[in-house]
Amino acid sequence: MKKFKEDLKPPFNIKSLFLIILLLMVFIISAQRVGMPDIIERLYESSLDLVGIKDSSKIGNGLSRISREMWPPVIESKKDTNLILNFDSENIPFNSYIEKSLVKSYEINPETLLLESTEENILFLVEPFGYLKTVIIKIIESIEIAFWASFISIILSIPLAYYSAKNYTPNKLIYFFSRSSVSALRAIPELISVLFMVLAFGFGPAAGIMALGLHSAGFLGKFFAEDIENSDKGPQEALIALGASKWKVLKLAVLPQVMPQYVAYMLYILDRNLRMATVIGLVGGGGIGQELKGRFDLFEYGHVTTIIIVIFIVVFIFDQISAKLRSKLIGN
Amino acid sequence: MTNKLLTIKSAKKKYDGGINALDGVNITIHKNEIVAILGSSGAGKSTLIRSILGLVALDEGAIFFKSKTPIVNNFQLLRSSISTIYQNFNLVSRSTVLTNIILGKILSISSWRILFNAWPKGIQMEALALLKEVGLEDINLNKRVENLSGGQQQRIGIARALIGDPELILADEPVSSLDPETAKEILKLLKMTAKKKKISILCSLHQVEFAKYFADRIIGMNNGKIIFDKASNKLSKLDLNKIYK
Repeated sequence: MKKFKEDLKPPFNIKSLFLIILLLMVFIISAQRVGMPDIIERLYESSLDLVGIKDSSKIGNGLSRISREMWPPVIESKKDTNLILNFDSENIPFNSYIEKSLVKSYEINPETLLLESTEENILFLVEPFGYLKTVIIKIIESIEIAFWASFISIILSIPLAYYSAKNYTPNKLIYFFSRSSVSALRAIPELISVLFMVLAFGFGPAAGIMALGLHSAGFLGKFFAEDIENSDKGPQEALIALGASKWKVLKLAVLPQVMPQYVAYMLYILDRNLRMATVIGLVGGGGIGQELKGRFDLFEYGHVTTIIIVIFIVVFIFDQISAKLRSKLIGN
Repeated sequence: MTNKLLTIKSAKKKYDGGINALDGVNITIHKNEIVAILGSSGAGKSTLIRSILGLVALDEGAIFFKSKTPIVNNFQLLRSSISTIYQNFNLVSRSTVLTNIILGKILSISSWRILFNAWPKGIQMEALALLKEVGLEDINLNKRVENLSGGQQQRIGIARALIGDPELILADEPVSSLDPETAKEILKLLKMTAKKKKISILCSLHQVEFAKYFADRIIGMNNGKIIFDKASNKLSKLDLNKIYK
């Protein structure tokens, strides 16, 4: 009876209370350190501003200034014909037209040393969907980066997974090295590794592909290896008992079991790489990110809006396709 | 004797934690003989079967298969002549009925065929004939095995064991996860096929009645030791009391 009573422990005791107080203290200190009170204060201020109780707020001021400039999105392109090499006004692209605009420019007069304004009529070649076309070409480049990065990561992760799976690795040393490489690849964020890749491969898609490919190989290697380790041992033992070699066991008894999960991982990596491919361009990795950074630096927020909308549409469409593909493959 | 197929001599195996799974086991299986091992859970039946295949390394003792030289660390020859049937069937899920049966002949299929699941026509025909033999002639060959009933899955397991033309079948509690009626049907099928094809069987079982019906000889095990080894028609209640204490 005494033993039975000992087993019936209350769910909370003084230790739990102490632990809760300790966690609460850590929580408060950490919140102070990262500026949580400021976030709450600003959000409170802006909500008062929104309902009209307050005249202005820091969040409102900051966002309204940029959002005014972000709308409408720019989809047309306008180029000074003087800057187009071998421009032929008789032979302009389909659906485009030439527009004459009065442009004011300022120059310092070398004699008077005063700033003088001059007005000049300049011919512009206007393509109504010209900028949209540029953005689409760039996003296709991002999709290509994502595709090739995923392809590289799958190829790299296959040997990594094999040697990182405890039950298939040839020895402890190889296991240790491959597990360490999988962790190392995962530990370096793409935005950092792309900086190194730019040094090795130069600015552009190649650097982006390598940075994304190596990082996601770390993820896939870990996921694949863990699935191999956790797969049902029964069929594997049956094949070993029949005299099958390691790779045959892996191919025939493990792969059919883990395949649906592998497909899900690969789709996730492709999805993730697509989103990341839009970002790595900011630091020289090619694709739409490079365009986004350029326009942001030139304060051309209308162009930025167009880019963001196109990224959103592409990511959304891909999300839908991969969700359908995943449910179809795993469902069967 | 010339009709000795498998001999196990003084087999000993101690697991971590000091459990004596096998404690000086001596067994001889003859050609065309069906032997059942009876014993409560933890008696050492599964360890014995797994050690024959080299899946469990013996601490001491030797295994002889059709020769006077013991098998030491090279189980490949033995594995090519022995097939196994398991309690949980051990079929490869998400693979088809056909693939699962063909896996029994894995040693005679080239690597590139395995890579692309391109099974030789002859082996496919053999699998078809075996399906008929195990009473599954109406089954869809491309059906995934996990969608079959327990009885059907064990029949596939038997077909997989038979396709390798084994001289000996090891069966580790092959009917434990089946209902009594299906269990009886499976044992009947196994017995008939073994007698027809002159295959020896070493089978661990839990049910005494099944063992009496199925085997020519029954071995009783307890705590890793052989308690009795006699013809199934000579089994007495006293013998059973010794292993089911």
